[in-house]
Amino acid sequence: MIDAQQGKQYAFVIRQLTARELKRKYARSYLGIIWSVLNPLLSMVVLSLIFSQLFRRSIENYPIYYLTGNILWQAFTGATNASMTSLVDNKMLLLKVKFPMELFILTRVYTALINLGYSLIAYVIMLFVFQVSPKWTMLFSPLIILFLFLFSLGISYMLATAYVFFGDVKHLYTVLLTIWMYCSAIFYPVEQLQGIIRVVIWNNPLYTFIHCMRKAVMMGALPERIEWFQMLFWSLGVYAIGSLIFQKNRNRIMQKL
Amino acid sequence: MPSENKPAIAQGQKSKPEPAIVVSHVSMLFKRAKDEATSVKELLVRAVRGQNHYEMFKALDDINLTIQKGEVVGIIGTNGSGKSTLLKIISGALIPTRGKVLVDRKSVQLLTLGTGFDPELTGRENVYLNGAIIGYPKSFIDQKYRAIVQFAELEGFMEEKVRNYSSGMVSRLGFAIATIRDTPEILILDEVLSVGDMFFRQKSEARIREMIHGGSTVLMVSHSTSVIQANCSRAVWIEKGRLRADGNPKEVCRAYETLKEM
Repeated sequence: MIDAQQGKQYAFVIRQLTARELKRKYARSYLGIIWSVLNPLLSMVVLSLIFSQLFRRSIENYPIYYLTGNILWQAFTGATNASMTSLVDNKMLLLKVKFPMELFILTRVYTALINLGYSLIAYVIMLFVFQVSPKWTMLFSPLIILFLFLFSLGISYMLATAYVFFGDVKHLYTVLLTIWMYCSAIFYPVEQLQGIIRVVIWNNPLYTFIHCMRKAVMMGALPERIEWFQMLFWSLGVYAIGSLIFQKNRNRIMQKL
Repeated sequence: MPSENKPAIAQGQKSKPEPAIVVSHVSMLFKRAKDEATSVKELLVRAVRGQNHYEMFKALDDINLTIQKGEVVGIIGTNGSGKSTLLKIISGALIPTRGKVLVDRKSVQLLTLGTGFDPELTGRENVYLNGAIIGYPKSFIDQKYRAIVQFAELEGFMEEKVRNYSSGMVSRLGFAIATIRDTPEILILDEVLSVGDMFFRQKSEARIREMIHGGSTVLMVSHSTSVIQANCSRAVWIEKGRLRADGNPKEVCRAYETLKEM
């Protein structure tokens, strides 16, 4: 139903909106977009200083282990946090636009993806610094990022819809994210864990994304069949549910705004 | 109560010219909790107690309106009378609870001021952002950029952040962007003709007249009866969601003013 011309116009709108988000984010800083590169680097240095000694025996190349988890985690939280408020933030615009309002959500997630791109520059530099040798399995990392993107988009649809009706979602989600982060094994090794927490982590979609990324980059191993299945299941499933919820509530959202 | 299933175009057949907008039996209901739960907790607590009382609020009540091509229609009414709801329904931003609107959405341009500008971006960046949002392709903006700046009288200010603009400058730019395209078929103006200084107002009214001359159908909302009398060929008065009067601008405005004085 979307013809080529319309698609082109949507792409133009997304580019313009994304440019705005990026310019806004760094509007009052001197280093601007460089912060997207510096930020993960600095937090990696700090965490490495603190934890390297602690996990020395169990994790090889701890800084990279941490950095891999952290940039994916940051991309996810950046995308979902920003898109949660996207409809409310753009309330005024929504009333005069001629394109579907999910473009605003898509834009915020896309912006996070662009930011992830900058963070990956830092990541690649660090791979050289820590002498991680190039492996052909690294070629699969864009696919993992695509899964993460779809997953984030699905969550974003749900959050953005919920936030229109309840402002509290924002605070609830902050708490949820904290729990979620501790369950994603970003800065600790997962092998030491036993019992219920281990089950939780293994079934945590974000951990699966991070874990597969680590394997591809650090160990040169592809995801196992069950992991492919998990990633497909979570990304497509959450995306489908998210957009379904959004579509169902589209009219109510307009009324509420 | 008129029946719901009357043919939609019944009204349009009275006169010869093609109708540009047909609004038939449009009602808009908003479900409004008497005092609305704004948090999940509140909602849950009330759901458990069975206290979620809703009352239906009728923003529009069975509105029928047919606008012919080339007509310039002004809508008046007090605040909260349903004017903007009607505009939103016509422009397609809202879907009415009941009734139908027949209009070619592609040719509708809704012009409201002060929206869609980002204070942290420069004037130039805002032209592109705003243009993209109201549906201009990039090539078109490239081509018309100079004309937009000229019309808005903002030469030399375009690399400044909009944050530093005066409100008059912002509305001039908004007006310039929205009206640069060659006469949209249907133009909807939401309180637009009362901005800027006297000179710009004259200029913008002239531009609107130019568009009207070019065959646009114009629908405008204004609080000012003088603006409506000066520009419109027909006026519609909406009060509490109902159509109170429809016809000659002078008569409708007079009726509206007598109500206000009471």
